[in-house]
Amino acid sequence: MITAVETLPPPGRGPEGLEALLGAFSPGRLSEIVGPDSSGTSSLLLALMTRTTVGGGVVALVDVADGFDPTSAAAAGADLSRLLWVKCGARLRAGWSAADLLVRCRGFALVVLDLGDLPSTRREAASAVLCRRLQRAAEASGAVLVLRAPQHLAGSAASLVVGLHQLETRWTGLSRATRFAGLTSEARILYAQGEGGARWLIRWHA
Amino acid sequence: MRRIACITASPLLTERDFTVERTLREVALAHSPRVEEAGAGLVYVDVAGLQGLFGDDRRLGERLRRRAGELGLPVCVGIAGSRLAALAAARLGGSVNVVDPGEDAAHLASAPLSLLELSRDMTARLRRWGIRTMGELAGLPSSGIFERLGREGVELQRLARGEDPRPLRPWQPPPVFEASAECEGGVATLELLLARLAEPAERICERLAHRGLAADRLEWSCRLASGSTHEGSVSPAVPVNDPLLVARLLGASLESTPPRGVVEAVTLRAHPVRVPPGQGSLTDPPRPHPRLVAAVLARLAALVGPQQLGVPQLLDTHRPDAVTLAPYDESQEPSPLWGEGRVRGPELSTLALRRLRPPVPASVTFTAGRPVHLRSARLTARIVTGAGPWRCSGEWWTSSPWIHDEWDVELADGTVCRLAHDGATWSLEGIYD
Repeated sequence: MITAVETLPPPGRGPEGLEALLGAFSPGRLSEIVGPDSSGTSSLLLALMTRTTVGGGVVALVDVADGFDPTSAAAAGADLSRLLWVKCGARLRAGWSAADLLVRCRGFALVVLDLGDLPSTRREAASAVLCRRLQRAAEASGAVLVLRAPQHLAGSAASLVVGLHQLETRWTGLSRATRFAGLTSEARILYAQGEGGARWLIRWHA
Repeated sequence: MRRIACITASPLLTERDFTVERTLREVALAHSPRVEEAGAGLVYVDVAGLQGLFGDDRRLGERLRRRAGELGLPVCVGIAGSRLAALAAARLGGSVNVVDPGEDAAHLASAPLSLLELSRDMTARLRRWGIRTMGELAGLPSSGIFERLGREGVELQRLARGEDPRPLRPWQPPPVFEASAECEGGVATLELLLARLAEPAERICERLAHRGLAADRLEWSCRLASGSTHEGSVSPAVPVNDPLLVARLLGASLESTPPRGVVEAVTLRAHPVRVPPGQGSLTDPPRPHPRLVAAVLARLAALVGPQQLGVPQLLDTHRPDAVTLAPYDESQEPSPLWGEGRVRGPELSTLALRRLRPPVPASVTFTAGRPVHLRSARLTARIVTGAGPWRCSGEWWTSSPWIHDEWDVELADGTVCRLAHDGATWSLEGIYD
């Protein structure tokens, strides 16, 4: 149910619904999801993977920090049989190489490179050149290529940059919090070819 | 009138035995040219029209059993109008069991559903319906079967009713993909040898392509003037049937191990494999081509380790992060989206947990029974809100029981994370993101 998503004022200006945000990730382009801890970046990535697998596409996830939680994915309704999970054990160079291999293999509908929360000095070492290389490979294969990192890394290679930050956390309980219910984050298109500036409020449910 | 004989090794085999398969094939082919191999110790023989040669069905069955016995293989023989009825007759009857024409459905009525080799999902579904035998499945209304189980269910029901429209897949001897070239006067240089190999490589590739096959291993053998033989092989990352590619692979292989002497003749052999098409049908979403995937997976395995990639599978336990990786199988059928085991659609607004593997050791300070401060190598901050403890435990009936309390806490900077306490130590399990 997408009632959790609403457009920030002015109403009707931006596209409505999480589906519209997910639709902004175009095939053959490098897109980037950036944001700090608990901002909803992993959840947005999971929503994208879920929508792709449910639609019959095959997803390749290059998980540099081994942080992917299949239980969350199953709860979201993702078809895990259509997911190839590559764990890199915090080896950044292996992650870049794996993403390069996978994005060149035609047939993957979505290739995700999740850089996790590695220290920024390691992430930025060779990112600009590698992102340009990945972007060109994605153009050739037609895959949706998504890079997730705490900060914007891809430079001009990214056709879409979605930034998220947390607005509030939600807890349930009468006198005191007894259960974590979720969080609300704001997703903003920081850069997009041809358009930009759209914002969404997304209520993620734990 | 169709008549099928089923010959099964007795006792039943659970794994393939090439000696048994060869014996069964020899017995079957001695009586009929149309023989289908159907698994471990099991062959079907088309025996229609053989009465003039070997007598009626019972005499033919006795003859098949006797011949196999002479070769040292005890077998059971069933003869019926359909494969499934013949199989039931062979497995559930005596050493030779003949089902009269038109009696297949009646004979199958009491046979168990296990003869159908159903998938696990289908077995569980039929069991829930209380369907145990072929007769019970055959008696269900076909329209209802189609609505609930689709085309697969209807086909299973037709088999249970003794209908068998599929013709036998006749066994054929495996083709040999081998070609040789004589080198008149002898060849002493690698360039000339590769030029001579081009022609047999092209012939083999043409034959492979004609049959829709590709080679996953190429073996070459050079007969030297000294009388000795120089041999080698090359295994491409993906099966190939392109002559230019094969020639390059052979060139690279021969360059690394060149023959020491004059070559008089060269022989090339290919090990054929069938490569399935990359896309099933026009309506299926695109998938990675198996050849490309095989090569990419091999390189990924070399990059991160073979245990570090695959399809995630949740284990049947409440233990947190109980996940295993299964080999990626391109041909695997997708999980049911709306059927059993998947009662609701995708929830795109599900909050994800980003796990920390391994969990980070932490220390938590409590005041008045509430956590107030977290200290760990990953996060250190004041706790502003916390919910817990939520106790998880399991496998208390085994030698390795586990129990821990989980807390969801929000730190001063807004980070929400999950903590676990096993009674002695705290750990940071993951971050909600």
